[in-house]
Amino acid sequence: MLNRRIGVFICHCGGNISDYVDVEEVRKSVENSPGVVLSKKHMFTCSDAAQTEMMKDVLDEKLDGLVIASCSPKLHLHTFRSMSERAGLNPYRYVQVNIREQCSWAHTDNMRGATKKAIALVEAGIAKSCLMPSLSTIRVETVPKALIIGAGIAGLRSALSLARLGIHAYLIEREEQPGGWVGNLGELFPQGKKGPSLIDSLLEQVRREEGITLFTGTELLEKSGNIGNFTVKLKTGQSDTISLNVGAIIVTTGFDTYAPQKTEYGFNDTNVITLAEYERCLQEGTGEIQYNGHTVKRVAYIYCVGSRQKTSESCPSPNTQCSRYCCTSAIHAAILTHKRDATVGQYHLYRDIRTYGKYELLYDEALNLGSIFLRFDAATPPTVHTDGQLRVNVHDTLTRGEEIEIDADLVVLVTGMVPRENKKLVNILKLPIGKDGFFNEIHPKLRPVETVIDGVFIAGTCQSPKTISESVASALSAVSKTAGLLKRGYVELEPLVAMVDADRCVWCDECTKACPYGAIQKVEHNGKEVAEIIPVLCKGEGACVPVCPKDALDVEGYTDHQITAMIDAFSKEMAK
Amino acid sequence: MNKATTKLLTELRKDGDFNATACINCGTCTGLCPHGLDILPRELFRYVILGLEDKVEANIETIYSCLLCKMCEANCPGDVNITANIRTLRNYINRKHFKI
Repeated sequence: MLNRRIGVFICHCGGNISDYVDVEEVRKSVENSPGVVLSKKHMFTCSDAAQTEMMKDVLDEKLDGLVIASCSPKLHLHTFRSMSERAGLNPYRYVQVNIREQCSWAHTDNMRGATKKAIALVEAGIAKSCLMPSLSTIRVETVPKALIIGAGIAGLRSALSLARLGIHAYLIEREEQPGGWVGNLGELFPQGKKGPSLIDSLLEQVRREEGITLFTGTELLEKSGNIGNFTVKLKTGQSDTISLNVGAIIVTTGFDTYAPQKTEYGFNDTNVITLAEYERCLQEGTGEIQYNGHTVKRVAYIYCVGSRQKTSESCPSPNTQCSRYCCTSAIHAAILTHKRDATVGQYHLYRDIRTYGKYELLYDEALNLGSIFLRFDAATPPTVHTDGQLRVNVHDTLTRGEEIEIDADLVVLVTGMVPRENKKLVNILKLPIGKDGFFNEIHPKLRPVETVIDGVFIAGTCQSPKTISESVASALSAVSKTAGLLKRGYVELEPLVAMVDADRCVWCDECTKACPYGAIQKVEHNGKEVAEIIPVLCKGEGACVPVCPKDALDVEGYTDHQITAMIDAFSKEMAK
Repeated sequence: MNKATTKLLTELRKDGDFNATACINCGTCTGLCPHGLDILPRELFRYVILGLEDKVEANIETIYSCLLCKMCEANCPGDVNITANIRTLRNYINRKHFKI
């Protein structure tokens, strides 16, 4: 152990660390620790100047291990790994110790304690560094093909763009007819083009594109393999199955519309309908609007039905999200109504109008055309009376909260989007689901279409409520992530994965049950059955390690040996 | 009970372009009124567009107290023709209420 040549660098982080941790004391305490040949301080270790100096130290002192005590590895692990690499040191021989979040920031009331803890943590880091081997990333060749699940507008648009980038797209659709929701919609905001014509023009291009294979009436049955090289089994028709090789998967399975309860806002009445139903009604005929055999002269819209709900007795699992498209869509329907028959009185009972961005112009237009807006508080929603004359009562906060009664020929419930249940698919792909029921991205701002499952992307309304343009934008974003992955021809994965000591293993199968990624398989080794890790599937999370009764498993970078050495070094220092 | 109807609005629109539905209820007009007429013009126009005639009649005094100074109109972000609307409303009241 003592023949190691480890360099330790302590960061001031301006004053972020040094204001509460005695950095010089930390440096002095560890300078003679086993394996350490060099210890220094820097004002900012992440600065270019400090990195240049540290790289020079690595070369001059022939360092074979590096410990930097600075901030969270979430911030700078990759910075310093790449610095090590540039200095000719294996990047996995770099160990980061977090003395900012874990010492100076956490213990501003106790400088002594913060310093002692920092010394202990650095000692543990040095102990780990002594035992860190050189590792290389796992390289996987990628297949230049992608599977897209769901041929709605997001799926169709993804397929076209991928094919044009030279990546073959297998587009599968569960229904017999591609096109999804948009294929059944009427006139759409903002340009007034109709849903079917939008879908038809996309389908026409899809048919002409050689790089797309469209399967309708088809479902995903199985997925195996790993990022860059998945094998997917599809069920086409009643009993036919086919297997395909793809490098990535894009999920564009869309949403469901909120279905109001029978008793919600009098929904069991024939003249209380959803916005989608009213939009279909607007597609029929010209001039005066007819519904259910009578002329419509008074319409009352109730907004936010099934969206932005709060938990209550009658609503134990609320849809908390705003569905984004519905305000604009309802106002767009109102404008179409005004234009067909200017004598129709239209009352909009809303909580907040969210016709954001360019759609604000539609709100202006509706106001100027004579739409009347009444604002209600979520605590006192409108009530719909279906006995006798259909009427709605609302406390209008814009008129001193006075109760206003509106006689209506038609009550339109502006319903939002809810996540579409798809347990089978979730199970096959191990898709992460958020609290709201929609599929979860890794980071809402910075990684909006990636999932924690490498090589599986999400786009469109399966991820969150979106307008059509937002759906298409996210579809194209998934396309660029897919192309970025597959165009390079290979991917490099972290080598910090589990490993099996085949001599100890007796194949009891406990580890496979514990692994959520299916990364462990049974193989023959020296005439006995043992477990083997599939490195490209393993995430190195270590669920298998503690369940092994024979201690045959370890995770690279976090081996029992390393962890024990770290605990020993840490507690030795704390005991002082 | 306040019953909402479009009758009053339809009637007023025969006299002129009564565009109070363009109001976004920001309250700038009420805040700026040099006369301190708190019901004018935002709330009054709410009564008008909702067709609450009795509320309008209860405020006739206020409707005629407006100076038509246009302080509110010049600052209205919704481009409501406030003074023209008040004139239209006065015409209607003259006919309907005062029979002149």
